[in-house]
Amino acid sequence: MRERDGGSVTITNLSSKAVKAFLDYAYTGETQITDDNVEMFFQLSSFLQWLWGLALLGSTWAALTTGALGLELPSPCREVLWPLPAYLLVSAGYYALGTVGYCVATFHDCEDAARELQSQVQEACADLARRGMRF
Amino acid sequence: MATGTDQVVGLGLVAVSLIIFIYYTAWVILLPFIDSQHVIHKYFLPRAYAVAIPLAAGLLLLLFVGVFITYVMLKNQKGTKKAQ
Repeated sequence: MRERDGGSVTITNLSSKAVKAFLDYAYTGETQITDDNVEMFFQLSSFLQWLWGLALLGSTWAALTTGALGLELPSPCREVLWPLPAYLLVSAGYYALGTVGYCVATFHDCEDAARELQSQVQEACADLARRGMRF
Repeated sequence: MATGTDQVVGLGLVAVSLIIFIYYTAWVILLPFIDSQHVIHKYFLPRAYAVAIPLAAGLLLLLFVGVFITYVMLKNQKGTKKAQ
């Protein structure tokens, strides 16, 4: 592997000052926000928020499904609970499919403009061919 | 407005997604609350398949995408070899 054999790793796309600022915050609770790193902080914070939300939902689901919280949920509720992640994935799938289908069906075709454009292209090709240009 | 086959294909996709939505929601969310003696249970497979079938379909999709990418890459490689 190149990184292992080369003895050094180069991380692109991140300013070293930004990474240093983040590590400072992680270890000391304080950091300097400058023009350099503010955009990277935004991206990092939204990514971490998303990750945190996902981890929270995932752990709640796992705790409820395995009964680790000691709650005695009624049987139908438990039956609904355990396939929930698969249900969310499948719902993302059919939602995407439906959106794509709807956009394809309502796409605004401009048939007249297309025909006019085609005829103009034909004219230009004929004109250029007459002047000796070969396609 | 889109015309001809575009509209048909688009509306077909919307219809398929609606059918999947209704069937899968009924399977996962509504069925546990319906009395197990009701006749509607005849139309749905055992509950374990509600996770197994989407999982298998997802894996098949990944397999298909991988095979397609491999095929395109091999074709490109053969093309450049011939040119050389």
